[in-house]
Amino acid sequence: MNSRDAILARLKGTAPNRAEADTLLIAPERPAVDESALEAEFLARLALPSVSATHDSIDSLTDLPAAVARYLEGQKESLALCLPPDPRLQSCDWTGFALHGTAAPDEAAALAIARKGIAETGSLVFETSPATPMLPNFLTLHHIVLLAVSDIAPYLEDAPLPGAQPRAHYWITGVSGTTDIEGTYVRGAHGPRFLHVILLRQ
Amino acid sequence: MSAFTDRADAALADRILKVAVERTAGTAEAKRAVAVQAFPDFEAARDRAAAIKDHVVAHLGAYLEQFEANAIAAGAKVHWASTADEACQIVIDICKQANARTVARSKSMLGEEIGLPHALAEAGIGRVETDLAEHIIQLADERPSHIIWPAMHKTREQVSALFKAKHRTPHEEETIAAMAESARRELRSQMLGADVGISGANFLIADTGAICTVTNEGNAELSLVPPRVHIVTAGIEKIVPSMPHAIHMLRMLARSATGAALTQYTTFYTGPKRPGDRDGPEEMHIVLVDNGRTKMREEGLAEMLRCIRCGACMNHCVVFRQIGGHAYGGTYPGPMGAVLTPAFDGLKANRDLPNACTLNGKCQEVCPVRIPLPTLLKGWREKSWREGLEPTSMRWGLGIWAFVARRPGLYRFGTGIAVRAMQLLGKQGWIGKLPLADGWTRYRDMPKPAAQTFMTQYKKERRK
Repeated sequence: MNSRDAILARLKGTAPNRAEADTLLIAPERPAVDESALEAEFLARLALPSVSATHDSIDSLTDLPAAVARYLEGQKESLALCLPPDPRLQSCDWTGFALHGTAAPDEAAALAIARKGIAETGSLVFETSPATPMLPNFLTLHHIVLLAVSDIAPYLEDAPLPGAQPRAHYWITGVSGTTDIEGTYVRGAHGPRFLHVILLRQ
Repeated sequence: MSAFTDRADAALADRILKVAVERTAGTAEAKRAVAVQAFPDFEAARDRAAAIKDHVVAHLGAYLEQFEANAIAAGAKVHWASTADEACQIVIDICKQANARTVARSKSMLGEEIGLPHALAEAGIGRVETDLAEHIIQLADERPSHIIWPAMHKTREQVSALFKAKHRTPHEEETIAAMAESARRELRSQMLGADVGISGANFLIADTGAICTVTNEGNAELSLVPPRVHIVTAGIEKIVPSMPHAIHMLRMLARSATGAALTQYTTFYTGPKRPGDRDGPEEMHIVLVDNGRTKMREEGLAEMLRCIRCGACMNHCVVFRQIGGHAYGGTYPGPMGAVLTPAFDGLKANRDLPNACTLNGKCQEVCPVRIPLPTLLKGWREKSWREGLEPTSMRWGLGIWAFVARRPGLYRFGTGIAVRAMQLLGKQGWIGKLPLADGWTRYRDMPKPAAQTFMTQYKKERRK
């Protein structure tokens, strides 16, 4: 008998009862979120020391390059950016920027659009697709994220889309950090040391 | 003296170790308390987490089949391993097929449990540990001493010396931030250049076939996205029915482990790279590992399969805080390790572990899935007695005590003599040296007992 059959034979399982599994999810306990003030709730979590992201806001997508420039200049970085092939980002006027399609190992900054923001934790939700590569968001020192205010949802349960899942669905809740040496928190362990969210109020 | 008592003796005498363990475990304990305070329904949430895991363990076979079918549909290859050796062999074969020279590994306790680092070395495959703590212990050629902070036993001074000896361009400033920066420089090119990325899984999602990893460093993603091949090794108990079930468990995991509401990076991977994707591995392999878990389920340790590896039990354990993780000798230390190690490596060689416990119940109080750890530890003690594994001196001693305890007259006669003898040994309320128990009095005095036994005083009072 191969190992698969041997393991399954030892488990002699009964078919899982979907209704029983669903019952376990009725009214799950979760931290309180004021659903009438989602933006404020989200921004409050974003400012927590464990997340420690900065934010800015714009009224129209055409203002995005100026907001990105404002951030990079404030950080004393040059106007160089890894820009994914997302048509919404590509449609902006990036005159004055050095744009890179892929991130070099020492790339300073990457821009990405979050599919959702989660007020419960201050998380940003991303999914992979041909227009939304994953690696730049983990590689650069500065991670700049565009998030539409209308995409802020209350709870983590609101993060995944129903149905077929993308290759990777991921939540970013702060910057790359470590407490591996004496429990002391250090920012920028392997990936981003700075996370900057640009809210789109359109 | 057993191997465990030797290791525990050495650990107790190591003053640096105690400082290192206290710095991290103490911080973790304080941070968890704050996180739990901020989540008023945490106690009810623990009940739900335990119920979800019990449901999964009861229907484990069917959920594994469901997970397998969905993972295959997403393009992953699913492998099954009954034993640790079989699991390692599967991983090595995949690496060889991919002509892998180096693998990047994202911290996985299951990988440690099956001995994967050793197996890769034997197969001549280079291994880069990408979690900062695993990197530290790889450089020091040591084993993890904690499941969340594997290098908990190292002080910053020790880490500094290690990096200066082994890194190509080490830090100059003696700060923890500068040491982390040195590791960042050292590891980045190695991660991006690896042929295979290997991870564990915090959860396997049955209804989508996804595997979930959580990290604060982002090293999992940097280790698993660039290489051509991603291999996952996961214990079969890591299954949850769906994403919302995983979300409930994630709320418990981060709070219990580090006191955060969530880890910085939480990723669900479903199969390999899709057409048109710019990054991601071309192959994804998932190795489902039993290694004694089905036996634990059958033999009274099903509750232990609830464990989500948060480390709260060891952070709060008075014994762990004194001796650290290495003294336990197995892959998993602390209370959960004292239950798991006899199951994985045999009770005979590990019968001391269930005894290295004060039964103060603190581990059970903080366990996010309410594992009755003290009860399971007592179960091992009973089994050790039934199987005759306790040493002769212990069996004789307990036998004599049982004989006397069943005979009240003899018992009172004996305790009367003992109390009088101890009166002669003691000075001003304390006994400095006790015959037959000089180990106890070597470093501290024994309080002198009352002048008369309880029964003597009781009878005297009644006669009044």
